Amino acid sequence: MDVAGDGGAHDTISVHNFSEKVCEQLVHFHVMRLSGGFFLWVGAAPTLANLAVSMSSKFDAMPLSMLVMGDQSETAPNSLAQRLAKKTKKQVFVSYNLPVVNSNLALQVEDRIKKEMETHPQHF
Amino acid sequence: MYKLKTCQGGLTKGLTMSTTQAMIKSRQTEKEINGIRTQVVCTEFSDHIFVVLTQYGKIGTLVLVTPDSKSSDVSTPMFSTKVLMGKDEPLTHVCAKNLATPVSQEAGNRPVLLGLALKDSSIEAVKLMRDLIKSCQVW
Repeated sequence: MDVAGDGGAHDTISVHNFSEKVCEQLVHFHVMRLSGGFFLWVGAAPTLANLAVSMSSKFDAMPLSMLVMGDQSETAPNSLAQRLAKKTKKQVFVSYNLPVVNSNLALQVEDRIKKEMETHPQHF
Repeated sequence: MYKLKTCQGGLTKGLTMSTTQAMIKSRQTEKEINGIRTQVVCTEFSDHIFVVLTQYGKIGTLVLVTPDSKSSDVSTPMFSTKVLMGKDEPLTHVCAKNLATPVSQEAGNRPVLLGLALKDSSIEAVKLMRDLIKSCQVW
């Protein structure tokens, strides 16, 4: 994906909010664009329950990902961060605050994020 | 096709589970401190305050600053710091505690997640950064 900006140190951090009804649930998104990466929060309630970090490595095709905060048994934040890092080639921070019971929800949420990346690349 | 709702309004404090407004409230500011451009973004969550303090435009080192559970017993609560990612050296802990303690206290003893990417960690600079964070209060 072609994202504008080379991540120079003089970029101003930008914050972007959007929301969407996914699987009959209103899901909120909050993106903070940083130099060379972004922070993405996804949730239905304003909690920060977990945080995953992912970035590309020259030693592996798949980006490295790690959960730095929250329940280690939760795989959703890690996998989302990893896929977004793969797509954007950036350092990605993800906090995923939705119930994990519905895997369809996670897929639709990811599609919605990718849609936003296409329509508003300047925010990522 | 998609109806975008760009919501800037904050939500009321507390644990409201269903708000139609923007879930997440954030504020940002920037200032030159000792000639170095310093950016701050504060974001409020119901269980955390997230503060990014950066002179590189990046999150940098992530530190979690948590008040002690027994803090209500004493007049000056104790805080523990944990480096979640990045440079785990004494100075990181000192800066994090210094910067995040007032935030946590003012935010009802919520833990503070702090992203630190500093070129200048001198005591004078840190004091000015504390004021800068304060000017970005979301809690």
